[in-house]
Amino acid sequence: MSELALIIEDDEDLASIFAEALRGVGFVVEQIPDGKLAQERLRSGVAPFIILLDMHLPLISGGDLLSSIKQDERFSNTMIIITTADARMGELYRDQADFVMVKPISFVQLRDLTARLKPKQ
Amino acid sequence: MREYLDNILSVPTTDPDDSRRRRVLNILLIGTMVAAILGLAVLIANTATKQAFSQSETQLLLAGIVAITFGVLGIYQINRRLSGSIAALFFLLLLTAIFSFSDTPEQLSNGRSLFIFTLPIAIASLILAPSASFLFAAISGGIVALLALSIDQNVNVFAIIGFFMLALISWLSARSLESALRELRIINTNLDKVVVERTEALAASLERERIEAGRNQAILNSIADGVIVFDTEWMAILANPAVKGMLEIPLELIVDKNFREIIGHPKLAPGSRRLLYAMIEHDTQPLGFRIEWAGKTLSVSAAQVYNDRSENMGTVTVFRDFTREAEVEKLKSTFVAIVSHELRTPLNAILGYAEMFKETVYGPMNDKQVNMADRIIKNTQRLLGLINDLLDQAQMEAGKLTIQFAPIRPSELLENLHGVMDKTASDKGLRLTSEIEDNLPESLNGDAARLHQILVNLVNNAIKFTDQGTVRVRLFCPGENKWGIEVVDTGRGIPAVDLPHIFDTFRQVEGTATRVHGGFGLGLSIVKQLVNLMSGEVNVTSTVDEGTTFTITLPMVTNEAMETNWRIS
Repeated sequence: MSELALIIEDDEDLASIFAEALRGVGFVVEQIPDGKLAQERLRSGVAPFIILLDMHLPLISGGDLLSSIKQDERFSNTMIIITTADARMGELYRDQADFVMVKPISFVQLRDLTARLKPKQ
Repeated sequence: MREYLDNILSVPTTDPDDSRRRRVLNILLIGTMVAAILGLAVLIANTATKQAFSQSETQLLLAGIVAITFGVLGIYQINRRLSGSIAALFFLLLLTAIFSFSDTPEQLSNGRSLFIFTLPIAIASLILAPSASFLFAAISGGIVALLALSIDQNVNVFAIIGFFMLALISWLSARSLESALRELRIINTNLDKVVVERTEALAASLERERIEAGRNQAILNSIADGVIVFDTEWMAILANPAVKGMLEIPLELIVDKNFREIIGHPKLAPGSRRLLYAMIEHDTQPLGFRIEWAGKTLSVSAAQVYNDRSENMGTVTVFRDFTREAEVEKLKSTFVAIVSHELRTPLNAILGYAEMFKETVYGPMNDKQVNMADRIIKNTQRLLGLINDLLDQAQMEAGKLTIQFAPIRPSELLENLHGVMDKTASDKGLRLTSEIEDNLPESLNGDAARLHQILVNLVNNAIKFTDQGTVRVRLFCPGENKWGIEVVDTGRGIPAVDLPHIFDTFRQVEGTATRVHGGFGLGLSIVKQLVNLMSGEVNVTSTVDEGTTFTITLPMVTNEAMETNWRIS
C-alpha cells in the first residue's frame, strides 16, 4: 500500500512543489494550509508515514503542533521533517524532529531524502 | 617726627651715591648748626657771668657763630637745590676755615689742635668724593705749614705726611664702601628683575589655567553627551548639564553622590542596573554598552583617567542618547527578518518549479529547455546566496549571529564542501581537491554550518578568480590546541596594495570587478567575521598571476568549554 505524507505548509507554491516531490517517490500526499486545520486532521486518527511541518503557520504555530505530535503515541513511528526559513528556529527544534530542512529547499534534495526514508515495498 | 626729619634731609636726586652724600652732608650741616647754637648759648652764659672770655674773644666767637650760621644755611640751600658737590666743597672749606681760627697758631700747627684738620680730610672722602680727601690733606697741610711759618716755627712735616696717610686710608675705605654699595645695588636690581619676571610668569600661568579651566568647562557644558566624572571611590565629582536632561534627575542628586546611589534610581531598568553594578564592582571600562533609563536607550562608555605620573584619578563616564538609533536598529532587524522570509519563500518556489522542469516531472523536455531550467536554477541559487550573505551581514552587524559548538568530523566538512562545490569547479574546468593532515583529530568541536559557510565562501571565491588549474583545500594542525583551514588556488592573485582591503564589506578588488564576477563582495568579509566570532584568525598571501592562499587558524574548543555553554558572540 501507499504511505501517507502530510504536508503542513501555508505557502501554496512550496506545498505543491513538496507534494510533487513526495508523490514522485510514491507517497500519497495531503496538503494542509494552516495550523488549525492541521491540528484537526491530526486528531482525526490519521496515521501518516511522514509529516513535513512548516514552523511559520497561521492560527497555530508549527512549534505547538510539533509538541502535540510528540505527545501523541500514534505518531511515534511518524517521521517528522521540519521545513523552515529560519535556521535558528530549525536548530531549536532539531532534537524533536527526524530532519530539519532550511528553506530554500531543493525539490531534488527533498525527493532524494524522502526516497531514502520510504520503506522498500 | 621721622617724616619731618626725612623731609629736612631729603635731596632732589635719583643717583644713589649723590643722594647718600648729600643726605650725609645735610646731617653734618644740622650737627654744625646745633653746635653753633650750643656755642652761642655758652657765649651768652659766659657774658652773663662775666667769666673767662675777653671782649675781643667774645666778638670773635660771635662773628664765628654768625658766619657758621649763615654759611650752614647757604650751603644747605645749595645742597637742597643746586649741587651736592659744590655744597660739600663749600662746607669743607668753611669747616677748614673755622678750624684755622679755632685755636692759637702754635697749637694748630704743632700742638693740641693739630688733629682737628683730620676731620675735613675724613669727611671729604664721604661727602664729596673718595679722592677729595687728598685735596683736603693738601689744603690742611698748607694751612698748618703757613701757620707754622707765620710764627717762625718749623713746619711739622710728620703731621702733613700723617694727613696724607689719613687721606689714603679715607680714600681706600670710601672707595671700598662705594663699590660694595654699587655691587649691592646691582644685586638688588637683578633681584628685583627676577622677582618681577617670576611674578609675571606666575600671573600668566594662573591666567592660562583660568582660561583653560573656563574652556574645558564651556566644552563640557555645551556637548550633547552626558558626562559624569567619578573619583577612584566612584564618587561623582563633576557632571555636565546634559546629564540632567538625559537621566531626568537634578544635578544635585548626582554630584557628590556615589555612583551606587545614583543607579539606585527607580527610572533605571533592573537589567541595566546590573550592568552598571558590574562595571563598578569589577572596575572594568566597557565601551558602549547600553542601558535603559527613563524610557530612553543610553549608550554608556567609561574610561579611567590617569595623571602625568600614571596614577589613577578616577573614571569619566559618558552617556549618549541612543534611543533613536536603537529604534532604527530594531526596525532594521525586523525588516531584515521579514525580507528574509518574504524573499526566500518565492525564490524557493521558483527554484522548486525550475527543478521540476529539469527533472521532467511534467513530461519530457528538449535539451534547450533543460538548459534553460538549469540557468533559472543557477541564478536563483545565486540570488539566494546573495540574500543569505546580506542577512548574515545584517545579523553580524546587529551582534545577533552566534556560534553553536557541537562535535564535528573534519572529513564530513570536506564531504559537504565537495557536495556543493564540485559541480561549480568542474563547470569552470577546475579541479577541487582536499586533504586532511594525519595529526588532525577525527572529531573536533565547532559550528558545522558556519564552518561549511566559511569553506564554501573561500572555495567559491577561489573558483571565481581562477581560470585554470586547481583549488586545493587542506585541513591541518598548525600547533598545540589549534587547527587550521587552508584554501590555495592557482588564480590571478591579488595585488599587494589590495590585500589589506579584501576583507572589507562590499568590496572587490579593482572596485568594478563586482560587475564582472557578481556578488556583493560580502563573502570574504563574512568569512573574516565568522572566524573572529570563533576566536580564530584569517590570513592571506598572494602572488599576482600565480595564486592566492587563505589560511584560517582556529582554537580547539575542549568538551568542557563546550559543555559549560561556551559561546562566542
